[in-house]
Amino acid sequence: MTYLLPHLFNGLTLGLLFALIALGFTLIVGVMEVINLAHGSLFALGAYFALTLLGGDWLLDSAVGQWWTALPLAGRYLVALVFAPLLAAAAGMLLELCLRPTYGKVPLYGLLLTFGAALVIEELIRLIWGTGEQHLPLPQDINGAILLGGIIFSKYKLFAAGFALLAVAGVWVFLERTPYGAIIKAGAHDSEMVRALGYDLGRLRLLVFGFGAALAGLAGIVMAPIWGLRPHLGIDVVIPAFLVIVLGGVGSFWGAVIAALLVGLSVGITGAYASAWSLMSMYLLLIAVVGFRARGLFGRKSALEN
Amino acid sequence: MATLSDISPRGSHWFTPAMGLAAVIALTAPLWLEPAGLYQYIGIEVAIWLIYALGFNLLFGYSGLHSFGHGAYLGVGAYAFGLYQLHVEVGLWGGLVAAMLAAGLAGALVGACVSHRRGIYFALLTIAFGQVFWFSAIKLHWLTGGEDGLLNIPRPDLSLGVVRVDLNDNTSFYYFVLIFLALTVLLMWRMVNAPFGRALQAIRQNELRARFVGYEVWRFKWMAFLISAMIAGLAGGLFAMAQQSAYPDVMSLHQSGLIVMMVLVGGGLVSFWGPVLGVLLYFLARDILGGLTETWLLWFGLLFVAMVMFKPEGLAGVLQDLQHGRRGPAKTSNPSLEVD
Repeated sequence: MTYLLPHLFNGLTLGLLFALIALGFTLIVGVMEVINLAHGSLFALGAYFALTLLGGDWLLDSAVGQWWTALPLAGRYLVALVFAPLLAAAAGMLLELCLRPTYGKVPLYGLLLTFGAALVIEELIRLIWGTGEQHLPLPQDINGAILLGGIIFSKYKLFAAGFALLAVAGVWVFLERTPYGAIIKAGAHDSEMVRALGYDLGRLRLLVFGFGAALAGLAGIVMAPIWGLRPHLGIDVVIPAFLVIVLGGVGSFWGAVIAALLVGLSVGITGAYASAWSLMSMYLLLIAVVGFRARGLFGRKSALEN
Repeated sequence: MATLSDISPRGSHWFTPAMGLAAVIALTAPLWLEPAGLYQYIGIEVAIWLIYALGFNLLFGYSGLHSFGHGAYLGVGAYAFGLYQLHVEVGLWGGLVAAMLAAGLAGALVGACVSHRRGIYFALLTIAFGQVFWFSAIKLHWLTGGEDGLLNIPRPDLSLGVVRVDLNDNTSFYYFVLIFLALTVLLMWRMVNAPFGRALQAIRQNELRARFVGYEVWRFKWMAFLISAMIAGLAGGLFAMAQQSAYPDVMSLHQSGLIVMMVLVGGGLVSFWGPVLGVLLYFLARDILGGLTETWLLWFGLLFVAMVMFKPEGLAGVLQDLQHGRRGPAKTSNPSLEVD
């Protein structure tokens, strides 16, 4: 059991982070019935924005830049944690505006458009930040390792897991305990009725897309030190996120969270025995579950099946 | 908007001036490719991708089944061809048959799992299966050579009785691929206009109605998946010959997405010839834009996004509009492309 413990912990961390990515994804699917294949690219954008905010070369030359990079890393990290997701949200809103001509057509067009957007964002990242692998600098407080009960844990992974847990709880509170959350949920349930009640559907969609993109960006920043930063990060991430929402059932909050934990744990446990195949396990999990339950664990009928 | 179902099997000429022109261009390609500043190999590449795209459109355009993992079958075909050459014997027909059978087997298995699904769920499952194949190709090192793939696959000679043709020469190999392209075009044209193809189009327009009319819908979907996987396998075998190697990259989500982009940009949703336009546009863009700028994929991606936003019928749709005169937006909307 002690052999498995670190792997279980890794899986749990991964699962919580997947949940964070998948929640934004599932909100967008729920309200807009768009499978956003660029969601992973927004995740990557969040991480790259954070990289720049933490002190890229672009501001080293100016006086402001020198003042900024002289500040303690922890402070800059906190600023990045707030502003990078906002920038990702802006990118997401731009994408939503591009998606408007596809509403009311088959969901395929949304899928195709966001696939193209993912390609465009990946190329933009190559253009702006270069093709090489980069690393996000971390403040001392959350770096290094910690000894718990004779097992070494990465301090950062503890931070990431805790942060993701808080963020997931925050999303739940937002959706279940605030009037805005109620409108979003109503929009996911029956957007025509929400419009009939006088809410501006266009603005609701824009905001939901922005919110989902911000969650993706946030997950990107937290995940970047674990996975590294590379231009095709977007495609690497969108597939697990995708699997999670299909597994959990499209549009379901608890479905996404439980499926994310399942996927994370299956990757973690496979990692203990056959690390080369750890990523494969989630595809097999999906095929096994969806083979028996077409709409995933908690799914309900949606327009996406047309 | 015109759709694929509007193309009448009869009534139109079986041979149009445009087709004649295309045939002349294809047959004379080795003569003008180099003077035009291109190279012989691109002809081979385009012809192979045309086979792949035409087979793919049976599934994508005609049946409305949006597979996002089709690179897997191209890859399986390429590996099967390579393994046959390296471990069984150096033989042309055996290798190509092995490529088609292996891809067909993979397609039959996956098709059996996905044929009961529709819409986005179908697309999702094809992505998952595609990733399984891609991942296996990378990890099964003893079989596939891992990330590097299979190297030094020989190009066997073509022997027809007493005549032996050395296919290592790119010009003769080009004509060899062209014969397969012509066969694929004929086969596809026959198939989509046969009752089988008509049934597939009925399924695309309204699966429920097709079922109520009495078609065993899932069997038609499975057949379409199988046939299109086998043709992808053939293209894969030819691709392994062309590259003299087989590698996992062709099975990645990126590559599987590219074929979707090519077929859609060309207008595979509204025309039999759409995939042809799309493949040509892609390779021309790659070689011409790619010569000018490193970021050509960015521009191709933007073109694709704009196409989906404003003209999802693709290039073929633009041409159809020009042909019929601009009568403003189409009067009748296509029920299969809109949800109520």
